[in-house]
Amino acid sequence: MGRFSATVVDHFTNPRNLGEIDDADVRAFVGNPVCGDQILLTANVAADDVVSDIRFQAFGCSASLAVASLLTATIHGSPLGELTDLDAARLEELAGGLAPDQRHVAALGADVAHRLVNNFRRGANDDDPISCSV
Amino acid sequence: MNVATMLGAPGEALRQPQQQWAAAVTAVLREAFGYHFERNAFFRAQCDADGVTPADVSTRADLPKIPMLPVSMFKRPDAHMLLTAPLTDIELEIRSTGTGGVPSVARRDTTTVDRAVVGITSSYRDFFALSKGAGLFLCPSTAEAPEMGMVKVFNMLNGVFDDHVYLVRDYAFDADEALRYLRSREGEMTRHIIGPPFLVNRFLRFLELEDIELKLDPESMVITLGGWKRYTGESISRPEFDAKLQRYLGVGAGRIRDMYGMIESNMLAIECEHHRKHVPPWCYVSIRDVDDPSVELTPGRTGGIAVLDALNTAYPGFLLSDDIGEVDESGCPCGRTGQTVSFRRRRQGAELGCCAVSIEKFLDSQEIVAECAVPAPAGGR
Repeated sequence: MGRFSATVVDHFTNPRNLGEIDDADVRAFVGNPVCGDQILLTANVAADDVVSDIRFQAFGCSASLAVASLLTATIHGSPLGELTDLDAARLEELAGGLAPDQRHVAALGADVAHRLVNNFRRGANDDDPISCSV
Repeated sequence: MNVATMLGAPGEALRQPQQQWAAAVTAVLREAFGYHFERNAFFRAQCDADGVTPADVSTRADLPKIPMLPVSMFKRPDAHMLLTAPLTDIELEIRSTGTGGVPSVARRDTTTVDRAVVGITSSYRDFFALSKGAGLFLCPSTAEAPEMGMVKVFNMLNGVFDDHVYLVRDYAFDADEALRYLRSREGEMTRHIIGPPFLVNRFLRFLELEDIELKLDPESMVITLGGWKRYTGESISRPEFDAKLQRYLGVGAGRIRDMYGMIESNMLAIECEHHRKHVPPWCYVSIRDVDDPSVELTPGRTGGIAVLDALNTAYPGFLLSDDIGEVDESGCPCGRTGQTVSFRRRRQGAELGCCAVSIEKFLDSQEIVAECAVPAPAGGR
């Protein structure tokens, strides 16, 4: 494998579900204070606990942007209960492998997925700490 | 003079007669413009909108016609649009996080990394002529901060030293350990200090408070990068900094050298002994009117700093930064020609953004956490 797997190249170059849902049912944010990688998920959840819509905003290295996109593609249409089993190893596998210096983004992805579930169940929402003056 | 010659012999490239410099920098930038014009759809659309092609750039006066990318675009989640090279060719991602917390990420392909490594290393040789001694690096190591632009640039200097140490570990800095290191190498090696101004300044404050005057060696250098403004907004005074270095470490002003750069560009402007920061021969700094960035201001006038960089093949290296400053094209007493650049401040409304700022902010937050920590009960838990 090169530095980036075919899956990472695909999701970085053609991000899925990029953006933010206005008035989303749930918002979850996780950021790494040292490297600055950040992922914000906004989602709507149907009555049967299935994620009916999801969007991401992400900032950081190419792998983190790709994993955020991949994460939304994986979560979309899934029951919330299944997301608690989504861990960094599984995300790395779905990404087609990550180089050693990219593996932290799989952990970041798993963290934000779990936070999405917890926030929804607690009726909590993360504020939007992401600001990008572009 | 082509890019390869500039990279291998920046000393010669920086001492060409001014007219030859202008012709050389125009030629390499025109070539770079053509490269991205042909291969980058996003950039091409910008060129088409402006009605400009590489054929329109024949003299130095035409350089401002080249469309620019605002550096804020490097923070975008859809930054793949900026790339001329496919992601599979990207070898290195360098980042900088300012006070806003959103990282700016610059992606370099193999060709750009090859060029940047050669260019920066040979520039260090031309300006510092260092090949031995002990380097006290007042910054994290690249192992601790592998993608941080400032650390990467410092790290390229450590190979010339016979010994070196990084003294920011786990985002903590121990000034006493720095002092012990300098003392341990006394009489053995010429000792040099490398780091962002705020950390060198912390070390100087420690020496001042402890009333310690330590004379380094006649050839010792202090090399800084990372800006003179702290994350709190407070500025470090350069004259006071130089005076303290002379007093507490015995390093004269001519051997204190600051550098200026931005992670999105391969421009590292290094200060000569006359404290002028020389723009490398593969870059051209264009000062733009703050209200109308399409207008280039004449040397000596203050405006927005735009950098045109001929080395970059990963994305168009034609960047409009958030920095304000000016260029000087008058001859420098050091004998180098071309341009020198002075950074004044950040553009109004722009966040304080650089690696040094994020290190200092994090370092301070860690110290506050440490100061507030509740001591563990005797016997531990």
